[in-house]
Amino acid sequence: MKRNLTAAILAATTALAMPALAQERGGTLNFARYDGSRLIDPIYADRNPDIWMVGSLFDTLLRSSDDGKSIVGGLAESFEVSEDGKTVTLMLQDGLKFSDGSALDAEDVLYSLGRARNPDLGPWAGMLGNVSDVTADGNTITVSLSQPDPTILSMLATFNTAIVNKDVFDAAAGATDQEKSAAIFAAGGPGVGSGAFYMCGFEQGASMDFCANEHHWEMGADGKPLPYLDKVHFDIIPDDATRILKLQAGEVDAVEFVPFSRVAELDADPAINMNLFPSTRIIYSPINTRETRADGSANPLNDVRVRQAINYATNKDALIGLVLQGAGQPMTAPLMSSSTRLASKLDLYSYDMDKAMALVKEAGLEAGTKVTLTTLAGSSDDATIFAALQQMWAPLGIDLVVEQVDGATRGAKNRSGEFDIHTYGWVDDVNDPSQVTGWLGYSPVRSAVGTGWESAKFNELFEASGKEMDQAARAQQYAEMQDIYAEAAPLLFMYETPFAVAISTAVDGYVQTPLGANIFSRATVSK
Amino acid sequence: MAGLQYVLKRLALMVPTFILVMIIIFLLVRLLPGDPAIAIAGDKASDADLAAIREKLGLNDPLLVQFWLFFTNTLQGDLGRSIMMRTSVSSVILERLPTTGFLALFAVTLSLLIAGPLAFVAALNRGKWPDTVIRTVFQVGLSMPVFYIGLILLTFLAAQLRWFPVGGSGDGFFGQLYYLFLPSMTVALYTSAIIMRNLRTSIIEVLDAEYVQFARAKGLPTRLILGRHVLRNALISTITLLGLSIGNLMSGTLVTETVFAVPGLGRLMLEAIFARDYPLIQGLTLTFAVLVSIVFLLTDLFQSLLDPRMRLT
Amino acid sequence: MTDSTVTTVKASKVAPSRVQLALRKPGFMIGVIIIGFSTLLAVFPSFFAPYDPNFIDYLAVRQAPSWAHPFGTDMLGRDALSRVIHAYSVNMQMAVLATVFALTIGVVVGALVGYYRGVADMIFGRVVDAIITFPFLVLVIAVVAVLGPGLINMYIAITVVGWVYYARLMRAEVIAQMGNDYASAGIVMGYSDRRIIFRHLLPNAITPVIVYWMTDMALAILLGSSLGYLGLGAQPPQAEWGVLIAEGRNFITTAWWLSLMPGIAIVITGLGFSLIGDGLADLLRPRG
Repeated sequence: MKRNLTAAILAATTALAMPALAQERGGTLNFARYDGSRLIDPIYADRNPDIWMVGSLFDTLLRSSDDGKSIVGGLAESFEVSEDGKTVTLMLQDGLKFSDGSALDAEDVLYSLGRARNPDLGPWAGMLGNVSDVTADGNTITVSLSQPDPTILSMLATFNTAIVNKDVFDAAAGATDQEKSAAIFAAGGPGVGSGAFYMCGFEQGASMDFCANEHHWEMGADGKPLPYLDKVHFDIIPDDATRILKLQAGEVDAVEFVPFSRVAELDADPAINMNLFPSTRIIYSPINTRETRADGSANPLNDVRVRQAINYATNKDALIGLVLQGAGQPMTAPLMSSSTRLASKLDLYSYDMDKAMALVKEAGLEAGTKVTLTTLAGSSDDATIFAALQQMWAPLGIDLVVEQVDGATRGAKNRSGEFDIHTYGWVDDVNDPSQVTGWLGYSPVRSAVGTGWESAKFNELFEASGKEMDQAARAQQYAEMQDIYAEAAPLLFMYETPFAVAISTAVDGYVQTPLGANIFSRATVSK
Repeated sequence: MAGLQYVLKRLALMVPTFILVMIIIFLLVRLLPGDPAIAIAGDKASDADLAAIREKLGLNDPLLVQFWLFFTNTLQGDLGRSIMMRTSVSSVILERLPTTGFLALFAVTLSLLIAGPLAFVAALNRGKWPDTVIRTVFQVGLSMPVFYIGLILLTFLAAQLRWFPVGGSGDGFFGQLYYLFLPSMTVALYTSAIIMRNLRTSIIEVLDAEYVQFARAKGLPTRLILGRHVLRNALISTITLLGLSIGNLMSGTLVTETVFAVPGLGRLMLEAIFARDYPLIQGLTLTFAVLVSIVFLLTDLFQSLLDPRMRLT
Repeated sequence: MTDSTVTTVKASKVAPSRVQLALRKPGFMIGVIIIGFSTLLAVFPSFFAPYDPNFIDYLAVRQAPSWAHPFGTDMLGRDALSRVIHAYSVNMQMAVLATVFALTIGVVVGALVGYYRGVADMIFGRVVDAIITFPFLVLVIAVVAVLGPGLINMYIAITVVGWVYYARLMRAEVIAQMGNDYASAGIVMGYSDRRIIFRHLLPNAITPVIVYWMTDMALAILLGSSLGYLGLGAQPPQAEWGVLIAEGRNFITTAWWLSLMPGIAIVITGLGFSLIGDGLADLLRPRG
């Protein structure tokens, strides 16, 4: 470490202030969550409350940079993609250890990637579909691909490729991998991962504890291993109002998923920092674009002009004002959030009632056409969206009615196509636009998020972009796909929202990434 | 002995009841739109993945086969594995049962402590101001949705005055007493209002009855009359009502546990329904049915003890 | 025990009629006035409400109470007073329709099985057990999820479960009344079963049921509100007290009027029902 004279003098003269400058270590951060984890295992995590915690317990070979725009080293200190794009060579750091102090070596990497690739195990195996082989020579890991894959580095920075301890799995009780994983999770304790923490307490649906991993490789500003905290304690409090009260009563230090209607109030509280972390979360509504509805009746939304019209007639700024109290912005990239890489910046159906009226007239939409908006029962956001859309679309001759269902029913309707329009949301799991683009637009995946929309050109571009190693060409393909999608409007494009986390001023350094992951490794609590 | 015979007979009668409950819940969960496979694989899973999971869970088998499996496994004490929790249903239920049991008993105790004395005060002062005040206050308690009362108690007693913790559950008996006071109180406000009204009415009825009027006319002190006639009758009706409201009480825990973040069976039930976790919903329903049946049996036994006219048949 | 005919004759000479009695009970009269006025609001909400309850004004969101908006405005800028008034239609309808069928079925079944006992009582016991041991809210949530959310499906679900409570109460009361002298006297005198049940037992046994009914109407409003809170009851944009409270609950400290006003409406209506219930309890009590 270099230190010039000025700095030394400065340090000497401000010796009294030094404790404040030094990283404060120790303490417990109490964190109130909206929902609990059920199984934190890289390959089985499928719900956000599980996925977003994987990174605290397990390290990946690579990582997304802080701004999310590039890939940097993790457990692997260096990495290289071959000229032909078919081989990735990674160099593991020396002396890596799991949280129980046992060595993390290439064998664990092979084992972990083998699990991650196994399509009989977790739901994410498809993301590594191009990987044909993984081999190791000392600390050198070689990932071979059957075809060039521009997403491979992002995949190696994604939670499902995180490294687990082979010995722990070998020793765990259970006949299948699933049983072993459940047994390891139920037992808790250090050893299975090498993340900044290990799980040291778990009460299903009630609470969870993470304890500091003293063997963690990543160093803090004070030259000692991260994390700074001794412990993170999670309380699961599903009710929004109760969760916030818990913070106001000083019983917890941080509260996630603050309803946007409460943001201004908490922001005004001097003891609370109201954080709005940028996210890849988009709120949109799939539109059923099929010729007929599931019941066989004619579908007015089959006409692209009607879909464009309702997009124009939707005053996004007003919606953002009503639902998010201003904490959001209209979608500008039709297929993704503006935080996702390769996002276009389009003027995406800015509110224009004249255009909307002209379009419905051109389409010959009958006055009093009944359209059903399927919303989530009990969600006040959805109720607000419905009430606002009903009024906004009435001039078009659309009689919007509501159908409130629970999440499982909405999911079933999305798959069976028994809906006109329904509310939905998305957060990227991978630091790459391919996942969300495949989800929203590539029809073989899920009929373009259940809309039934299909474009041969779009599918062709998507498939080509999956092999395109040239950055500029790939960006061009994504720009084209976004133009096609915007024009066809299979969605009601709504808005992007940040992650609202209210944190006591005693806490510093907590981050929620654009992908939603909760990062506690650099967090501190002052006593 | 007649009593033992009665109990055995009642237990035997529970068998058809439980079978009926099993059939209803088995069919009902399968009628619900939505797919438990999504609970496992998530919204993002492909249709092929879901089909594979359904196959693995045995959801593609004929209904009769599925029911027979559920039925025979239950008889052997195996409620199956929870889809969302990935662990055995019985272990999840056993883990949460004490909390909900504590909450329910605590609420009943509080209800009786509140309603009992106040009902007497109200009945003895019928039509006068203490009566009016007591009844109006209880009416407010009775008329407020649980999720609202709960929030008001939390806002003022917990967050602002900090007398109680905001949600969660504690360790040990006293920890639970401390943590579960507000949720129990929320349930009790509602239950005690029902008990109070009923108790007051039945006390007044007894006080007005001819034999009591006669006893009063003979100059027997009121306290003696109360002790001899009123208490017994009041107890009978209160116990009947408590027995009746046990189902309500259990339902009440669904919302209360959610508002107060109490990790109990009620909240678990809501989560299970939303995740379409068939085995867990079935197991929880059966658990509720067994609990409620036991309470009913006890209610009837108490009743017959106190009132010989309620013959044990 | 005195002969009932003699009692009636005596009563009509000495005691005032029930209507006259009722008029002398201020509590009962207040209850009648509250429910009467609530019914008026329920039938003619537009006459009383100052604004269209569903009119959205983005520029007047969550305003505090003022002369223009006595209860303030909600998060969509809708007039809260108008929404509370329009909610009377739905909530009063809930009070009646969610209970009246359950009451009728329950009273008749309860009286019959209480009187005859025997096999009918046994079967009744099983049915009651099966229904009552089922977690109530779960059954309602499931039925509504299968049939689809909405008020009518909600009434069906509540009635399927609710009648049992009336029947149990009625049965217990009838059995208790059977022990009284007049019932045995009726049997000794050879009155028909129907006469004993409906002329003698029912009027004497029904008081607690009626009192419970009044409570149950208030409870039905509450239950409907809980379901509304879960999104399974009244459908938006229809205002409903439970939904209004749920909408306002996040603002207890900042915009308290949003949840308080519908809360007061529920309390007052509940109070009205219970005052009537208490009054009826007094009035219906057999005299003589």
